[in-house]
Amino acid sequence: MTMLARLVRYRVTVILGLTLLVASLTVPGFLSISTLSLGLDRGATIGIIATGMTVLLIARQIDLSVGSTFALAGITAVMLQPAIGIWPAALAGVLAGAAAGAINGLLSVVFKVNALVATLATMLIFRSIAHWLTDSQPVPGTDIMLSVALSKIYLEIFTLRSALFVGAILLLHVWLTRTVAGRNLFAVGSNADAAEASGIAPGRTVFLAFVFAGALAGVAGVLQSLTTNTGSPVFGAELIVTVIAAVVVGGTRIEGGRGSALGTLGGVLTIAALTTAMEFQSVPAYIQQVVSGLILILLVVLDRTVRPGPRTHAAAGASG
Amino acid sequence: MTKTKTGMIISALALLASVGWAQAKTVCYVTAADAHAYATPANEALEARAKELGIEVITLSQNFDVQTGTEQLNTCIARKADGIILWPLDPQAYIPGLARAQQAEIPAILINSPMDEQADRFIVSFTGPDVYEEGEMAADSLNDALDGEGAVVVIAGQAGNGTTIGRVGGFVDRLTEVGSKIEVLDTVNADFDQQKALVVSRDLITRFGDGIDGVYANDDTMARGFIDAWKEAKPGEPMPPIVGINGQKDAFVSIKSGEMYSTIVQSPVEDGKLAIETMAEILDGKEVDARLPIPLTVVTKANVDSVEPAF
Repeated sequence: MTMLARLVRYRVTVILGLTLLVASLTVPGFLSISTLSLGLDRGATIGIIATGMTVLLIARQIDLSVGSTFALAGITAVMLQPAIGIWPAALAGVLAGAAAGAINGLLSVVFKVNALVATLATMLIFRSIAHWLTDSQPVPGTDIMLSVALSKIYLEIFTLRSALFVGAILLLHVWLTRTVAGRNLFAVGSNADAAEASGIAPGRTVFLAFVFAGALAGVAGVLQSLTTNTGSPVFGAELIVTVIAAVVVGGTRIEGGRGSALGTLGGVLTIAALTTAMEFQSVPAYIQQVVSGLILILLVVLDRTVRPGPRTHAAAGASG
Repeated sequence: MTKTKTGMIISALALLASVGWAQAKTVCYVTAADAHAYATPANEALEARAKELGIEVITLSQNFDVQTGTEQLNTCIARKADGIILWPLDPQAYIPGLARAQQAEIPAILINSPMDEQADRFIVSFTGPDVYEEGEMAADSLNDALDGEGAVVVIAGQAGNGTTIGRVGGFVDRLTEVGSKIEVLDTVNADFDQQKALVVSRDLITRFGDGIDGVYANDDTMARGFIDAWKEAKPGEPMPPIVGINGQKDAFVSIKSGEMYSTIVQSPVEDGKLAIETMAEILDGKEVDARLPIPLTVVTKANVDSVEPAF
């Protein structure tokens, strides 16, 4: 393999490495355990949602409504607290996320609405329901001390949600690379007809992918609401772009059939490192977004112009 | 094995780095936005005053996204800032972050907007406008304009919004307190929106017509809505005295031309300056009040040329 092809193949690792290098040279005190822990926690919300999105993109679907699902799940988890207690309410929040995913799946599989259109519609609907449930006001939870406890740092690195994220992405990696169901997902994403001909049920696979993505957006939303002790109808309004960027930076193709969990991990970490580094330097928010956008374009262009040999689904863009 | 080595290098680097920036005090400023009519001048004033005070400011913009803000608080703590100035966009969501700042012994203050009482024990002070006082000042101003009697309409902001509650409550309470004979015909919500204010003003003018002796709008934008509705319904007739809040440029123009009676300047520059000055005192180990309001100025035709508009 040529040097260039190798660079392209491991481009996420390369970009992540470069980001860390530049950041550590320009930002005093950047390379430390506390920054690593911060970056992980920062990436965790995006990462948990991106884990679900990876599965959807591989299946050649997309869910634009995850930000709204995120808000709705968080609101459910907070509003039900006084009635049924904190943990049952949290579970209800995750289930609300899964239900939102099921609605998307139903629209997409049974009613054959294009996923982009269907989830654009549900994005607006779920967001409006969130506003309607809360009268557009943030809803406070019952126990602020729980929020403080939940943001505790374990082993100097992990918070509850960053541990969940890393766990989820590793499980997804195993599922995608070691199980038949995981491989079927790639088959459905590459060519649904061919997959069906070989005995896979693409409809069922796609439906479950939507439920999975919705449930994970729900988990992220519930965690967000618990750590901030607030259910807010405006939470997650800006999430979707970052989530898709993280997954695509990680080498998963929006056209389906190709992608990897470890790539998504790399993508999430890259974006988290970039944001943290630029924040440490007080770079204005709009410039941060320009930089993130440029890196996204760079990576996708690299992916298109230099093809690193034959398609290897699990390894593409994997961070080593 | 390699892990321990990396760990050692990392800690060595961190140690080296921490020696480097121990001298100048660093304040982390989590602002509402970096491109906004009110926030931008507030940010600039805060940064300029910080420079004079010899304080380094790391400005992080939430771009009106609460989640971003809560994460930025963590950045401030990881960066080991000496102090945190937070512009809260939500009454609750920042509390865990503020609690962690307190654990890390980083003093935090709020700028511009209040949070719920539960946040009080995690912050040292709250600097920003007193919206209740703004309502009281508006009542005094309208009382002067009408010589203590007449019928007025109130165009309020959003229902349930803290600023609206303060600005309407202060107004009504003050009128009772001074024994004014001003009677409030009706209070309607127009959500701080000029277009909505235009629509509700048309209704008010149809219902009460010349019975309206004066108008109190919760901000200048909505005052503008009433002016337009009046001109449309009663062209050529004298405008009843209108009192607004904010001190926007177009309100100054209206005051000069006689279309508005007064406005109250709530200066973003003072907002920004007071926050960093308060933080400077905290860093010097001085005691500060838990609530520090910014100065408010009533602007009428008499002083409109000598006061700077807020934005």
